[in-house]
Amino acid sequence: MEKIGLYLGCNIPMKAPDIEQSFRNILPEFGYQPVDLEGATCCPAWGTAPSFDMDTWCAVSSRNITIAEEKEVDVITGCNSCFGVLSEAKHFLEDKARRTAVNAKLAEIGREFKGTSDIYHIAHLLHNKVGVDRIRDKLKYSFKGMKIAVQTGCHTLWPSDVYKVKEENPYYPTILKELCEATGADVPHYSRLEACCGMGGMRSTDVEKSLKLFAEKLFSIKEEVDPDIIVTTCSSCFLQFDMSQPILKERGVIDFEPIPTFYYTQILALAMGFDPAQVAAISQIDRSQIIADMQSERRLVKEVA
Amino acid sequence: MKIEQKKIDEAVQTITGYGGHGILNCVQCGACSAVCPGVKAGFSLLCRNLIRHLLNGELEEIIEDPSSWGCQACNRCTEICPQDVRPQEVVFAFRRYQANEMAFSTSAVTSQMNLYETGHAVFTDARELRKKVGLPAEPPTSAYNEKAQREIQALINSGPMGELGLF
Repeated sequence: MEKIGLYLGCNIPMKAPDIEQSFRNILPEFGYQPVDLEGATCCPAWGTAPSFDMDTWCAVSSRNITIAEEKEVDVITGCNSCFGVLSEAKHFLEDKARRTAVNAKLAEIGREFKGTSDIYHIAHLLHNKVGVDRIRDKLKYSFKGMKIAVQTGCHTLWPSDVYKVKEENPYYPTILKELCEATGADVPHYSRLEACCGMGGMRSTDVEKSLKLFAEKLFSIKEEVDPDIIVTTCSSCFLQFDMSQPILKERGVIDFEPIPTFYYTQILALAMGFDPAQVAAISQIDRSQIIADMQSERRLVKEVA
Repeated sequence: MKIEQKKIDEAVQTITGYGGHGILNCVQCGACSAVCPGVKAGFSLLCRNLIRHLLNGELEEIIEDPSSWGCQACNRCTEICPQDVRPQEVVFAFRRYQANEMAFSTSAVTSQMNLYETGHAVFTDARELRKKVGLPAEPPTSAYNEKAQREIQALINSGPMGELGLF
């Protein structure tokens, strides 16, 4: 079993621990043992240290990375923002002067950044290391006939020059599409595939601007795909889709029912037969009906011993 | 309007000092603004337009504008820029200038306090929720780890954030 450092961030362990539980359930099935990074902090989020001081940002990010370095493991994140912030900090630390300054700060707390652990998103691990064939082999339920609209989110795509794993064309991402197709589902293209959902700094700065951007994306999804579910690999996008669709519905901006939204590893865990009460238990939008369908007898592909 | 070179130099130096090293490469082509979700959502001073104001020597004049805080940090601009400006770095440099002059919304203070006290910008007591899905009540992060909290406080205190009197 290969060890991998599980960097949790903030939103996943505090607001969506069912997503964390889905990671912990599926990873060993694919030969990866998630290792806790004890005492890891916020990445730090864009609106905190990165908005004040580059060295403080790099010091907080690299402190998190040193925890993985001590355990001699690479890092996976589930949150796109964490992936972006940690990857960019690591990129900035390639500058010698920056690294010296940051390591002087880290020395005060008895740490040193060496740069020996790489940063991946869990989607990268599943797509590039596990691979869609091994995912298919583990399925207990097939999602054949289901239609999924995918939302990759921003921070695994740009700027591609600082990321360990890159999409061939970040304006036309395919990793999540292929991961979803591995479950048997259809994943049609829609014109605003790469558009921002409006979460993040925008939502905390101006919620109306954020909702307007979100609605535009949502209309594109509804009109062009009309999916059974929306699937994302970004925990921030997940929160936006799950909490803002009911707001738009209540305001009469949308005339359709909110579309159930999942984090990718949640649908994968469901397809592998894990307990929805553990891996897909927390949402504003009622997902019980679609979850019952996803794990219904007619979808069984084989008996898993 | 007469533009004073001294003011341009001051703006460029300030932005460069806060990490916006590519600002002088900008040719105002607007590719960044074309792909920017913040511009699309209606934040007026981001990407090309922000850089134009800065290169006209405006700094204090626009310090109260909230646009930079609407930046999603998505870096679409960095990817598309043909001049290697890395516009997001300029936007964030301007935001850092604003932050260090305390020109930011009070709503942004909560996440700084959370980060300083718990190590998490987003912090809620999720212990019941975690138990409900079969996880240990306390996450293995800094949330309930005093040593980790002391470490992050030391890192924040030793930089300019520690001098702002927020904590």
